[in-house]
Amino acid sequence: ATDSCSRMLKYTCSGCIVARKLLNSRNFSKFLHSCAYQCVHHKVIMEAEDKYKNELRKTFICAKKILLTPCRRRQLCKES
Amino acid sequence: MFQGQRGWFCGSVSQDLRQIWEDEGGMVSDVKAADFLFSCDASHPDTLRIYQSLEYIEDNATVFHAYYLAAIANTEMKNSVALGHFVLPPACLQKEIRRKIGSFIWEQDEKFQIEKHDRM
Ligand SMILES: [Zn+2]
Repeated sequence: ATDSCSRMLKYTCSGCIVARKLLNSRNFSKFLHSCAYQCVHHKVIMEAEDKYKNELRKTFICAKKILLTPCRRRQLCKES
Repeated sequence: MFQGQRGWFCGSVSQDLRQIWEDEGGMVSDVKAADFLFSCDASHPDTLRIYQSLEYIEDNATVFHAYYLAAIANTEMKNSVALGHFVLPPACLQKEIRRKIGSFIWEQDEKFQIEKHDRM
């Protein structure tokens, strides 16, 4: 029981206690980012996910650029 | 408790856990329409697809571990279960996160044993 107690103490930010009725998969991440304070648990997860998302974002942008360089565009026009 | 809410389930989620969702009034839907995304395995192809989606990188799709549903089924105070503790991050991040915070709440398996009903 002491273990779960110490866990509870460590886990107290808005991301932990806000009623489920207000949260779901669509708004949780934005909600957490908007909180002034995050507990260790949420801070660590959020930072790791943000880093991952940034990497992905870069690959998305790269993919778009390749598709839209003029040379590639001409190619696409010719092909169609 | 989940009246009018739509949930999507990864193929890794057991039927028992899905049943809890439905028993609490939740509906099952596809990813696009879902309010809640549940998975038991971050490296399952269904869930990987979410982590690689535009919705995810734009912060519009948080995956929750389906043990959240077991936690609800196991308690009288259903609203006291913190959804926020059941965030399921991509598998490639879990090791690093675990190093910093110890095990995830949903890794404490013994807490989430659902009473098995014989359905024979
Ligand atoms: Zn928290």
